[in-house]
Amino acid sequence: MRDAEVKEQHKISPFLVFYLVHTMQVGVGVMGFQRIVTKEAGNDAWISVLAAGLSLHLIIFLMYKILLKENGDIISVHKNLFGKWLGGFLSWILIIYFIAMSITVLRTYIEVVQVWMFPDLNKWIFGCVFLLLVYYCLSGGFKVVTGISFFGVVLPFYLLLTMAFPLYHGHFRDLLPVLNHSISELYAGAKGASLPYLGFSTLLIYFPFIKDPAKSHRWAQGGHLLTVFMYVVVMVATIAFFSERQLEKTIWATLTTWKIAEMPFVERFEYIGIATWALVILPNMCITVWVAGRGIRRLIKVKQRKATIPILILVLIVNGMLTERGNIDLLNSSISEVGFYMTYIYIPLLFLLQFIVYKVRKLQ
Amino acid sequence: MICVFQWLRKRQKPDQIKNLPQLIANLKTSGDFLHFKSEQTGMPYFIYYFKTLVNEQELSEKILAPMVKNKVSSLKEVKDTVPIPGIILTDDLSDICEKVMIGYLILRFNENSNECALIPSPTDISRKVSQPEVEFTVVGSKESFVESLDKNLHLIRKRLPVHELKAYEITIGKLTHTKVAVLYLDGITNQENIQIVKDRLKGIHVDQVVDNSVIMQLITDNKNSPFPQLVDTERPDRAASVLCEGKIVILSEGSPQALLGPTTFIEFFSAFEDYFVNWIIASTARLIRIFAVLFSILVTPLYVATLTYHYELIPSDLLSTLVSSRQQIPLPPILEAIFLELSIELLREAGARLPTKVGQTIGIVGGIVIGTASVEAGLTSNVLLIIVALAALASFTTPVYRMGNTIRLIRFPFLLFAHLWGLLGVVLCFCFLLIHLLRLKSLGKPFLEPIYPLRVKDLKDALIRLPNKFQTKRPIQLQTESTVRFEKDKNEFHE
Repeated sequence: MRDAEVKEQHKISPFLVFYLVHTMQVGVGVMGFQRIVTKEAGNDAWISVLAAGLSLHLIIFLMYKILLKENGDIISVHKNLFGKWLGGFLSWILIIYFIAMSITVLRTYIEVVQVWMFPDLNKWIFGCVFLLLVYYCLSGGFKVVTGISFFGVVLPFYLLLTMAFPLYHGHFRDLLPVLNHSISELYAGAKGASLPYLGFSTLLIYFPFIKDPAKSHRWAQGGHLLTVFMYVVVMVATIAFFSERQLEKTIWATLTTWKIAEMPFVERFEYIGIATWALVILPNMCITVWVAGRGIRRLIKVKQRKATIPILILVLIVNGMLTERGNIDLLNSSISEVGFYMTYIYIPLLFLLQFIVYKVRKLQ
Repeated sequence: MICVFQWLRKRQKPDQIKNLPQLIANLKTSGDFLHFKSEQTGMPYFIYYFKTLVNEQELSEKILAPMVKNKVSSLKEVKDTVPIPGIILTDDLSDICEKVMIGYLILRFNENSNECALIPSPTDISRKVSQPEVEFTVVGSKESFVESLDKNLHLIRKRLPVHELKAYEITIGKLTHTKVAVLYLDGITNQENIQIVKDRLKGIHVDQVVDNSVIMQLITDNKNSPFPQLVDTERPDRAASVLCEGKIVILSEGSPQALLGPTTFIEFFSAFEDYFVNWIIASTARLIRIFAVLFSILVTPLYVATLTYHYELIPSDLLSTLVSSRQQIPLPPILEAIFLELSIELLREAGARLPTKVGQTIGIVGGIVIGTASVEAGLTSNVLLIIVALAALASFTTPVYRMGNTIRLIRFPFLLFAHLWGLLGVVLCFCFLLIHLLRLKSLGKPFLEPIYPLRVKDLKDALIRLPNKFQTKRPIQLQTESTVRFEKDKNEFHE
């Protein structure tokens, strides 16, 4: 596995995994995940969000177990467990999933911009400029990708403060009565809450780029914990601010709450918020495309640059062809679905399988 | 040196100069090359030199006088009697040719042999050490570098009288033969960094190196970046101070500026005066400068973005002011802004090219007359005039001149993107800038450090400057060989 080796100068410090995990989770999902969760869990949606978040700590733990045992990325794990062909097939599915994820992120963001800021934004030109930016970032290597993730977390962090406005205007009685929904409703809500949490599975590929990976485990968990905290705050603010019926009709609840932010020099905060969100979207795109490119590089012997350019062109074309709201929604929900099963079923299965295979090999 | 001579040999056809008489015949074609024969000592001798390079007073007092007095008759005796160190007896043509060009004179007794004495007697015509003009500070040293490498080295050595201060010298430039000195502190500065600088200097193959800024452009990490990646300073105290930190200083003959590296983006916003004042005042000044940079880059694009697309952002009270100031303006905000930005750039460029006194007049004419007239003529709104003037003012707060230029330049892409996609365009442009800065390196070290990679310990002297007791360690960025600057004083007198 000479190919899997990563040179020391390309590796990143363990604590930066915090930002990589966190930034991948906070993407387009957080703009409007509230409607999907409350549809099922009503005013207990925040419990679903919390439960989904906490359960994912376990999944991250399992991911680290798998990767640390292999001391490589998921592609090595696949090859090791399933052999060259089946393993390669699974890896390709994973890569397609990541590419689809990047398409979803970009298309959803463009949709938000079209609906909220510029109805006649040309998605081809905008997509082109945005992907050029992604390419410029990727050609600097994984360290630059990590750098932009760092800034993608730190710089837009002030947006969390804007949640003070809906909290201030909200009615907290809306949260009561607590736990008036059945377990199955909460479960359905938690399932709906998984999209904004997904994305940390990119860790499966960039894992070998971490210096001292065992140390990075707690940082990954920490990054995820911050996301859980943020989502619960946003969820509570949303439930307090909207009535349940109103929320049913609000696709991007977070953006709607920004509308009421009022400062002496600025009104209609959502313009600033959506523009700043480009800083959150950029690392999302960079990481997913990088991860897909890296995966392809590992599977077939091509330079990563040569793998990245076709991915970017593919993202641009699919992005341009998706025009209707229904299609974008479908893409979002199917990515969410696939992601849900991948994290909650595939990862534990893989863990078990690896455990058994290693036991058997040891016995032989 | 050898390679230079080989090159010279290649240039002058190899069969042209074979011995000293031929060389002298060649040199005589220059009008300022003097030669004379004297028999005062009994034995006739010949002296050749460039009168523009040799100190003629020294020649008569220190060289000729003792020779006549002692009646020297051989080269060996010359070396013994003339009270000047560094006399060379040689017959090596390349050596003779090289030395005579830097102020040595040739002395010989036999007109037909290659044997001669080379006596150093260079004249030194250079400016006296004067006050710093770009980095003037009210408190602190008033000395600045001059165009002579030796004087500059002296200014630094005077401040760091330790034997660990090493100056590695190298000559570059095929025609200018510029002497360049790489200064570092042995046992403190990272060897790898020194090696990088040496290798890059050795890799320079150009005909002329007229200034340190040429070297800077040639050894910089990313040559296609508008950002300077090495700090240049005219203050010897700043150079000495960064040497103590573990940085490398590059000086070159004929340049009153020193290059400092590896550096970081933040260092361009720290003035050396920050170390002369209390840490609270220094930190405030730095924060103001960083705010000024952001303001300078972003404010005009934000104006264009808001007034082109996002009127809704502005609260209604403020909006009426803006609208009434723009009521008569026939131009869209972008043209208005570009018009004003360009006039400011014109003023600055004209001011920089003209002598000081005329420059001032231009500043007044431009700033007041053009500004007021263009508002009255209805070409620009007075709100934008204020904004642009403030932005220009803010860009001048950057202590390093080069960085100020860059800041003014990168405003223009921001303006265009603001016109294209409003706030979104501004953020996209900002992302581009961020990625560019992330990719930059200074002598192989990350340029955005200590922000990314985040090194909390290096933040002690970055955005703010903490008091002295926090500065016991050298920056991690520099990976110095000894990390401790000084021991923390446990029983400080006021505690």
